[in-house]
Amino acid sequence: MQEASFLILTALAADSQHGYGIISDVIQISDGRVRLRAGTLYSALDRLRIDGLIDVDREEIVDNRLRRYYRLTPEGSNELATEAARIQSNAKSAFNRLGLEGGSVT
Amino acid sequence: MTTDTDLERRYRRWLRWYPKAFRDQHESEVIEVLMASAREGQREPMLIECVDLISSAVRMRLRPSVPRSDQSTLTAVKVMFLGAALQLVTAGAIWRTMAAVKSNIVKRTPGLTKTQWHAVAVGQLEPVAVAASLAVGVWLWMAWANGRGHTWGRIVFAVFFGVNTLSLLNGLIHGSAIFAPTDLYAAVLLWLVELVALVTLLHEDVRRIIRRSRALAVR
Repeated sequence: MQEASFLILTALAADSQHGYGIISDVIQISDGRVRLRAGTLYSALDRLRIDGLIDVDREEIVDNRLRRYYRLTPEGSNELATEAARIQSNAKSAFNRLGLEGGSVT
Repeated sequence: MTTDTDLERRYRRWLRWYPKAFRDQHESEVIEVLMASAREGQREPMLIECVDLISSAVRMRLRPSVPRSDQSTLTAVKVMFLGAALQLVTAGAIWRTMAAVKSNIVKRTPGLTKTQWHAVAVGQLEPVAVAASLAVGVWLWMAWANGRGHTWGRIVFAVFFGVNTLSLLNGLIHGSAIFAPTDLYAAVLLWLVELVALVTLLHEDVRRIIRRSRALAVR
């Protein structure tokens, strides 16, 4: 799974969000390292929707513009959990080999 | 307000790169995100935004739009891209070996008159070379159409396979094994790739039909 997709699914894990909300949340989740642009965001959302990992939760009109909220589907939750476990397992192996069992880098 | 309207209009212009179906469904919300992300007093889309919009639009137009769960179609699409690459090599080989094939024909059939020779060259050799070159485009078109999930893509690919099978048989009947062995090997390899792509593409449909007919037979 690409990092952008992983971060978007993570942003949607707790609650449904609209496009700009996802961008802001991804900045927060990645400690400011990843800033999604609108094109990249909607390309990823389109792909995740096709794969059945997210769906539209609801729509609102704000200042005459459409605001669409997305949510995780059960498949999306499973996929995110699997991917998170994979990353965690890899990270644990890396820390073990580095002799940093606690997982902290000084 | 005027600045906002101008900026929005300019963003909308960049969004024309996207497929119409996507624009119909998402343009309004993408504009909402772009406007919310814009800096105070921004009048023009930034270069990085334009590059992002164009690259995402191109990706969206070219990438397969069938779900990941449809593995057979996605595999068939990959095989079709492989087919396009092989077809390109084959077309190159046909053009490169054209002179050798011509001299082979002259050597093995010395009684050929100038008119007969012209008929062979214009009627068979050159059309095969042109068709092989055009077929690269057909492979890519088929990969795109099937990746988009168009049903007609399956039908056209099956027809393409049928035409190529007949063309291969026609070549064998007219002595391609004797006159142009390299071209024949390339054509057979390509035909096998086509067969793999077709089977991968259609095997789920065929299984579904068999299951349905068995269920009907049981009733």
